[in-house]
Amino acid sequence: MRFDRGCKNTTAAFLLLAVTLCGCADPPAVFVLNDAYYAHIERKTQTTFDPRSRDDIGLILASSFGEPDDPYVPLIADLDATEILDLTRVKQSSGRVWSDKIGIARGLYREHCIHCHGMSGDGLGPTASFLNPYPRDYRMGIFKFKSTGKGLKPTHDDLVRILTEGIPGTAMPSFKVLDKDEIESLVHYVRYLSIRGELERKLIELLPDVEDRLLDDALRGKQDDKYKAQWDTIRGTAREVMEKWVQAEQEVLPVPARPDGWQDPETMRASVEHGRKLFYGKVANCFSCHGDSALGDGQTQGVDAWTRELLNDKEQFLGLAKMTPEERDRFEYLKARDPRILPPRNIRPRNLRQGIFRGGRRPIDVYLRIVNGIDGTPMPSAPLLKPGEAPNPGKLSSDDVWSLVDYVRSLQYESISNPNDHEPVVTRERL
Amino acid sequence: MGRFWSILFLLVPVLGVLTFVLAINEVGPFYRHWLPVNINDHGGIIDSLFMFILYLTGVIFVATGLVLFWFLWKYDVAKNRAPVKFSHGSHTLEVIWSILPAATLLFIAIYQMNAWADAKLRRPLLSTGPDKTAGTRDDVVQPPLVEVTARQFEWRIRYAGSDGQIGTPDDVYTVNDLHIPVDEEVVLQLKSMDVLHSFFLPHMRVKQDAVPGMKQFLWFRANRTGTYDLVCAELCGWGHYKMRGRLYVESRQQFDKWLKEKFQEQEQTELKGPPAESAE
Repeated sequence: MRFDRGCKNTTAAFLLLAVTLCGCADPPAVFVLNDAYYAHIERKTQTTFDPRSRDDIGLILASSFGEPDDPYVPLIADLDATEILDLTRVKQSSGRVWSDKIGIARGLYREHCIHCHGMSGDGLGPTASFLNPYPRDYRMGIFKFKSTGKGLKPTHDDLVRILTEGIPGTAMPSFKVLDKDEIESLVHYVRYLSIRGELERKLIELLPDVEDRLLDDALRGKQDDKYKAQWDTIRGTAREVMEKWVQAEQEVLPVPARPDGWQDPETMRASVEHGRKLFYGKVANCFSCHGDSALGDGQTQGVDAWTRELLNDKEQFLGLAKMTPEERDRFEYLKARDPRILPPRNIRPRNLRQGIFRGGRRPIDVYLRIVNGIDGTPMPSAPLLKPGEAPNPGKLSSDDVWSLVDYVRSLQYESISNPNDHEPVVTRERL
Repeated sequence: MGRFWSILFLLVPVLGVLTFVLAINEVGPFYRHWLPVNINDHGGIIDSLFMFILYLTGVIFVATGLVLFWFLWKYDVAKNRAPVKFSHGSHTLEVIWSILPAATLLFIAIYQMNAWADAKLRRPLLSTGPDKTAGTRDDVVQPPLVEVTARQFEWRIRYAGSDGQIGTPDDVYTVNDLHIPVDEEVVLQLKSMDVLHSFFLPHMRVKQDAVPGMKQFLWFRANRTGTYDLVCAELCGWGHYKMRGRLYVESRQQFDKWLKEKFQEQEQTELKGPPAESAE
């Protein structure tokens, strides 16, 4: 009798365990369609897309880029993209996390990045909603910290730098302890996700104008001309996206040399003083956003490009509490279509007194931020005199920008930037 | 059946001791499961305290295991038919088992006091001041060589630079790469930017919580060059496991060279290739 009851209990416990474990199975690794953008374009163009177009886009992307567990790299005729998308490197970062026989780490993206940046590189991983700023959504193809001009893609070195140094002031940590090869592989994988995501957006943008369907798989073997024409459009779009990445390596802007004598304290002081005047001047106009005391409290109602798309077509957003009916309407519509999107947030200009420079603290980093602006944010590029151009009060010379760099880099050492921390009594005053 | 179970209980102290013996001697699968090599001149005392407490608890652990086994063996119901005898406690026994552990704990508390003071209170001095006595108000304490700021999830590191002061324009900034000179007292200043972290150098036997809003100081004297671990020893959030860094112990010459290179890189005003590979 007693044995029976024990046996029943054991069986019940095993059943319970089995049921619980069934629920623990990994969700399948799939790329998710950019539903928010799909809905946005539908609403913007006042059209309703053919319901099959979602599957069409899925098919196009799957046949060009594969799946997260088995990626491929699209081949475009006459475009050598191995420098930016090397299949071996992409594969090392894709798939589940494991180490092969000789100890090479695989599935790096899922080990290190996915919880923030998401399986599809949409910045909607499980930890994303806890972070401020939100993790980057690669699918827009916009990158902030780079050595190329406004609107251009970052170079290889730019991405390597972000991965190794991290982005201070954000949740993006440094991955310095990873091997060089692993960083390299992740850089390729980020480009892979970005190119895939940007192509997806471009394909969605094509939908309102497409005659019949973007890609009708039923035409294959029947109306080959039409089928081929459909693929040609798609390949053309993919080429547009990929070419920009290939070209980025040649787009690095030349940086005029920093004036000599910065090691001399007197020259440095003069430069900082000149930079201070420019900071509060009409041309550079830094203070209007970064605030009268450079605390980042000037213009605090800006939004970044990623948020703007969910709200309005302006650069301003008064905050969640003061959303206009149109903004609320657009956001709620998009949220209903893609429940994963995160509530909008303002982007704050940087507090320059903390000594935290997201894109790096080297003079060259600060110079590039000023001259190129920061893509996707309200930070504009400075009006710079072209080499050989006559001095113009409406523009800055490169020496002016170097002075601004010196001023901005000096702010963190001013005494008001350094409140005193509490020190433990025992070490402060030894009795 | 009864005595079979008492044998299983005997296995607990036997296997327990065996595990430690194999681990200390780094046998087979236990290779590198014991303490890492100690590279801190001040770390020996921590190790000896650890071993002392291990032996103390080890003896009690084995004794308890043996007594448990002996009772199970001797009073096995199949062999022992005598009726149960109940006792209503022994005052003498209770006094003994209260006083013995209390005395032991008190002994450990007093025995370790000097080690604690050396590790946490007696910061290395530049000079003992005019009164020539250490431990008085006029002591000049050694300033920190480097400041480590913990944040989710990395170690932001700042060196005092050539003027020896933290918070001046010649500071050198790195992340996750802690370089220190060998055979020198190094004072390190520790802060946190967000939540509790714990700065842990296992090879140095140094561990200190980083508390937001507080400055902590720790010190050590490395005696062996090489590359070691820097980890976070306080669960600080979902990315706690990522909070790893490297500790490079180098000769003074190499350290100065590295610091200079770092500073030059930091003052870089033109674009060059990818960031230089870290030393080693």
